[in-house]
Amino acid sequence: MESQNLVLDLEKIEKAYPENPIEFFKGKKLCLFKACLEAYFPGVRWGIQDLLEALDIEVVTCSQQSCCSGTFFQRNLITRSQFSAINERNLNEMNHQADIVLFSCNGCYNSVLRGRDFLKVPEVKKKTQDILESLKKKDLGENYPGKYDILDNTELRLVHDLDFLYLLKSNVLDSLKFDLKGLKVAVHYGCHYLNLERDKDTVESYLKDKKKLDEFVSLFGGVPVDYQEKESCCGWGASQIVLNPKDALKVTFNKLKSAEDVGADFILMPCPTCLYTLSKPEYREKMFKWFGEMLDIPTIHLNELIAILRGCEEERCITLRRKTPRLEEIFNIITKE
Amino acid sequence: MDKYTDADWNWDFFKELVDDVDENKNIIACISCGKCVGDCPASKISNFNIRKIIQKILRGDRSVLKDSDIWFCFLCERCKRVCPKENINIPLLILNLRNESFKKGYGPKYNDLTKYVEMSERFLTNGTVLDNPLGKELPQDRVDELNEICNFARIKYVFKASKNKKQKKKK
Repeated sequence: MESQNLVLDLEKIEKAYPENPIEFFKGKKLCLFKACLEAYFPGVRWGIQDLLEALDIEVVTCSQQSCCSGTFFQRNLITRSQFSAINERNLNEMNHQADIVLFSCNGCYNSVLRGRDFLKVPEVKKKTQDILESLKKKDLGENYPGKYDILDNTELRLVHDLDFLYLLKSNVLDSLKFDLKGLKVAVHYGCHYLNLERDKDTVESYLKDKKKLDEFVSLFGGVPVDYQEKESCCGWGASQIVLNPKDALKVTFNKLKSAEDVGADFILMPCPTCLYTLSKPEYREKMFKWFGEMLDIPTIHLNELIAILRGCEEERCITLRRKTPRLEEIFNIITKE
Repeated sequence: MDKYTDADWNWDFFKELVDDVDENKNIIACISCGKCVGDCPASKISNFNIRKIIQKILRGDRSVLKDSDIWFCFLCERCKRVCPKENINIPLLILNLRNESFKKGYGPKYNDLTKYVEMSERFLTNGTVLDNPLGKELPQDRVDELNEICNFARIKYVFKASKNKKQKKKK
């Protein structure tokens, strides 16, 4: 049997609940996939968690979930079967306690879908199952029916935060206290959202996804601005920034500079890994040293922005990011009564 | 592009790569249009050139495994998106080439992987790549499961090498 990719069918929900798609989620339990980099950007987690609670949607996190391990797979430090087994173990644990998993990180979302994709290869699937069998024999932790079987027949569904929020955009808008006051916003989708085909069936779904952030900016009362490097990589490049920083930061520099040159007030994105790369003060200093220009354009994750627009306290949205260039300035502009 | 004749084609290397990962068979459909190179972030900052890499594979030129270029790929999947042919999965091909490179002993040595040492350590001791995760830490029995899954993987050798290094430092 072919393993499903488990992506939530948004079009089906839109058709079934054209007036109010939030109805689909009532009575369902949503699990937030914990991205490692949320440790640096807690507003990314809390932004969506607080919103879901305000919308009366049951939300949980899974204490048994590990890192998606994409970092290690991308550097050939684990095999395809090991990578799939790590993700399948996580999905098993989340399936045990939730109906839908939400992803705040392009990398984690891509990892889980890529892991599912590998299960289409019979040899990889067999090896993955063997690894999971060895875990069963260890018999560690809580036991439950079907524990660590590959999820072939499951109701569990996966969705990226951006797709989920876009589906519920009218509810999101209703929950806002502030608007963007005409701020100019450069949007960055990130490679593993923009280039991902594992969750799409048609060309139309590609094109639609390339407009969601721009549309959000307009709906929030801002002005989306076009820029040369809009679709380019943030520079992280599967850890190239760690291994070849000078080369990779050139990509980052070009992106930031391109957004600054068109007068953007900040860059908005749906991924904490891109956020880390584009905002890290040490990287900005290195770019200044190597490329001769200090760039100070602020960067914000969509979940953080929604938290700011909803009037959440600064402590809840961006507290750990005080060193991020000019972020408080944007926070103050938006939240000025 | 270099001129070549029919005599230059050699399918042995290609067949080996297909044996390892069946999806690699689709690279035979590459029409060398160069869209992948034009849109590639790695090609902008290095000599990484997918078109040339595919040419080498189809000619049986195994020197591609020694090229440092294959380690520059960003795995952004943009090439996969812009490729006019169906089902050519360049990122997977690159991962496969890197794997072969490791096996032949050409891949990055421990010293080149030092940046990964701390991340590997944290993953195999806490289940995350960062210290102080947001929320509760992963229970120890789950961490044990991750270690079981990663048996015989390179991540274990990186982890082991880091421990040996630490012990040597202590002495």
